[in-house]
Amino acid sequence: MPGLHVTTEQRYSTLLQQVIFAPNLNAREEFLAEAFELGRGALSQDAIPPDELVAIHHNAILCFSQKNPDMKLCDVVDLLTLPLIEMSMAYGMSFREQLEKQYRALLDKRLQESHRLEAVGTLAAGIAHEFNNLLCSIIGFSELAFEGLSDEEPAKESIQQVLVASLRARDLVSTMLQLARKNSGLPSEEIDLISEINSVIKLVDVREKKLEINFSSGVPNAFITAKPGQIQQIILNLCINAADAMEHCGTIDINIESTTSDECLTGVGESAICITISDQGTGIPPEVQEQIFNPFFTTKEPGKGTGLGLSVVHRMVEDLGGRILVESRTTGGNNGTDFRIILPFVDKDKRGTSCQKKCSLYKAHNHGG
Amino acid sequence: MAHILVVDDDVLIRVMVTKMLENDGHRVTTALDGAEGLRLFREDPPDLVLADIIMPTLEGLQLIKTMKQIRDDIPIVAVSGGSRHISMVDNLNLAEIAGAEATLPKPFTKKELNAALIRAVS
Ligand SMILES: Nc1ncnc2c1ncn2[C@@H]1O[C@H](COP(=O)(O)OP(=O)(O)OP(=O)(O)O)[C@@H](O)[C@H]1O
Ligand SMILES: [Mg+2]
Repeated sequence: MPGLHVTTEQRYSTLLQQVIFAPNLNAREEFLAEAFELGRGALSQDAIPPDELVAIHHNAILCFSQKNPDMKLCDVVDLLTLPLIEMSMAYGMSFREQLEKQYRALLDKRLQESHRLEAVGTLAAGIAHEFNNLLCSIIGFSELAFEGLSDEEPAKESIQQVLVASLRARDLVSTMLQLARKNSGLPSEEIDLISEINSVIKLVDVREKKLEINFSSGVPNAFITAKPGQIQQIILNLCINAADAMEHCGTIDINIESTTSDECLTGVGESAICITISDQGTGIPPEVQEQIFNPFFTTKEPGKGTGLGLSVVHRMVEDLGGRILVESRTTGGNNGTDFRIILPFVDKDKRGTSCQKKCSLYKAHNHGG
Repeated sequence: MAHILVVDDDVLIRVMVTKMLENDGHRVTTALDGAEGLRLFREDPPDLVLADIIMPTLEGLQLIKTMKQIRDDIPIVAVSGGSRHISMVDNLNLAEIAGAEATLPKPFTKKELNAALIRAVS
């Protein structure tokens, strides 16, 4: 019986994948019809437990909306879910309610999140000019005052503090600006993940004396399409978080592998690359995990964290057409956190027609915003 | 020691940059908008121009283009802190297209200012 579950579920989820990657509307309709035929049968024979079905749909909706950024999430939900709701009517109102409640919650959460990000981005862009001008005077006049004072002058140290603080404010503004999506005019290019990650490791090595980073790659030619600097920023933010979680002492493991296990990205003829960054730090309790990608969410002391790191990472990974997953253990001896980033893969060896098609797909996605 | 023309609509920035540059022995003239900047540029041609791009719209870009048409041998540093409608990276890119030899994002430190001046003349 359990074996049967797996296959029906897999077939069902494959069909939904085909819906997601359907080349045109007709094909999409056909796959949808087929999926619901299978779903109906499975439900009536109890071959797929209702909550499994909901989970599969939940994933499909997320992927579909990622693949079709121009489509409103509510339309995506309509497309993938309404037929399912219809067919499940016969199986009782409670199932229907459960489905609707879950999707409503999902919708609300995603909406809230995107509104909040949008608000931060707009706010940052709106005040950037004025704010940067003010900061420019604060920094400049402090430097002038600093130079004008002799070393015995007690005010000299105070001015130094003003300078340090205003340089931190400058970093904060620039981080906030990265939340505004279209912040970089630079075009995307093919980026070598291994050399990007190595450069970040060098940077972290200088800052973190008691920290060791193990980096291994199972993919010799790990190329992806990104804007210059994006990957470094993503990895750096995750490494800083890992270092903080281990109180700056311990080992961070970074690993690259190609993956076909992530159905959401790989489905039909797509290949993906997975970067895992693991630490043996405190771990993240489930109730905190829900919030870590929110802008300004931090558990760190004032001055130690702004809570923008992961929201910038999340935004960038989305821009690259990828996904970020977190897995964390807070109890037992093996506590720690794994962040997995799954990105579309440019396979240098197999670059043929299929790859060209794939690249243009990602380009279209990237430049769509 | 050089003669530097500073064009910026923000009075604090004009005063601050003037002090920094004068401390290093440069002669500084300042203008608060594109029109005044252009007038001074014609009357008393500087060795180098430091021009803000957003004053408060993109008029700095036009200023750079016009200055380059008049005298393309005078190096220009384009300065920007971003604006409501266009990002800092984008408008600094535009400034390079308009002809600026170097760009300098706001806020900057004295060291960064000096580095930009050197980039512009080399
Ligand atoms: N590897 C990790 N281990 C444990 N907790 C983590 C880890 N990464 C992130 N967190 C938690 O997620 C929160 C949000 O992280 P995020 O990077 O967004 O902000 P921050 O690190 O607090 O501040 P900033 O990155 O802006 O300096 C952290 O405050 C921390 O509680
Ligand atoms: Mg962080």
